[in-house]
Amino acid sequence: MLKIRIIPVLTFNGFALVKTKQFGNPRMVGNPIQAARVFNSRNVDELVFTDITATYSGRKINLPFVKEVIDECFMPVTIGGGIRSLEDINDLLKIGADKVLVKNLAISDRNFIAQGARMFGAQCISVAIDARKTGSGSWELYRKTPTGLDAVEFARMVEQEGAGEIVLTSVDRDGMMHGFDTDLVNSVLEAVNIPVVAVGGGGSPDHFLELFQKTNVKAAGASAIFYFTQFTSYDIKKKLGDHGFPARFMAAGN
Amino acid sequence: MSICIIDYGLGNLASIRNMIRKAGGKSEISSDPTVIAAAEKLILPGVGHFAAGMENILKSGLLPVLHEAVLERKTPILGICLGMQLMAGHSEEGDVAGLGWFDADIIRFRQEDMGNLKVPHMGWNEVKPAKAHALFPNVDEPERFYFVHSYHIRCNNPEDVLATAHYGYDFTCAVSRKNIAGMQFHPEKSHRFGMGMMERFIQWQP
Repeated sequence: MLKIRIIPVLTFNGFALVKTKQFGNPRMVGNPIQAARVFNSRNVDELVFTDITATYSGRKINLPFVKEVIDECFMPVTIGGGIRSLEDINDLLKIGADKVLVKNLAISDRNFIAQGARMFGAQCISVAIDARKTGSGSWELYRKTPTGLDAVEFARMVEQEGAGEIVLTSVDRDGMMHGFDTDLVNSVLEAVNIPVVAVGGGGSPDHFLELFQKTNVKAAGASAIFYFTQFTSYDIKKKLGDHGFPARFMAAGN
Repeated sequence: MSICIIDYGLGNLASIRNMIRKAGGKSEISSDPTVIAAAEKLILPGVGHFAAGMENILKSGLLPVLHEAVLERKTPILGICLGMQLMAGHSEEGDVAGLGWFDADIIRFRQEDMGNLKVPHMGWNEVKPAKAHALFPNVDEPERFYFVHSYHIRCNNPEDVLATAHYGYDFTCAVSRKNIAGMQFHPEKSHRFGMGMMERFIQWQP
């Protein structure tokens, strides 16, 4: 039986790990290479690692630096940030990324996901959907400038284009640590048939339990809980396992 | 011991080399026929579309080199993910012929048997050995490996099935015959179970 995935989603600014609140107020939280080493020794299921300032600063992701991070990871790694061409995807896959996370280009170039999926396989093309609540049961696809697009519609569209996975982040819950937006997760799960990683708001193992009880999602991402609390991915899985969910247990260390 | 990771333009080669190093082995990534011919062991990696994989192998001119190493000199080879699928005779993905080392077909997960399960099958799953084999010494203890795929192999010879996993239904996730083995999952991405598998591949004397 397929195990539930708990995935640290780490954001960095080109140099250091930063953690945002509702996508603002970035706060320095550590060194990416050290963090990768720690998460590897804790046997986490996967890692997502995104340069959140590359696109807006108009620069490419720092490949030698990211390679150092990937070399610490003996589990699947998704890398995002500053992807502007198929060549950028190829560069990331070449240094050992298993999946790439595309956001802005998925919005601005409607063909990009389809091209990427055709060339590299759908399984390695993840699309980041950042959703901000605009009313009851509606969410806008969020980026620095308003998109006017419906986040759930957009999810449906990227699936049709060939995305292999959606990393779905609630902007309102980001960094707040008071629970996931389960309505958002359910709305997207109803719309698509590809795996979804629910991100935003996980601040305690109970929040993860609530997410998996209220939705049919099979993967959850988080970061603040790992930076600012004593809980590890093991604690989250222990909680889930105690309530009958299939989680993958592994003692720390390898 | 030198392992050659065959570079035909697809796949996460750096991660495989990284895991071999961690498991105590030496490897080289190469598309050079003389390096491939001289290697003591081979790994056929690969991620992506089956038709693109076969096309790359044909275009690179490696087909006769691979056939000679694997079928005539019996060099031990491990196929990973698409690399394993390419060892089959045919794939639904693109409707093309594969290397034909296993009498088997690559088929898409049958959505009608999947309920509300998502395809691709992505994540950690238990792998159950189907027969005693040096690569799976613990027949009674399922190990967990990382999967990401939408297609899987279906063997026509039951004795080729090395291990199975369950996703919607039981499917074959590893195959072996003589000096040839293949795995749908990614040992290079599977922490200590993956490292154990890589150590056994390094030791393997078929």
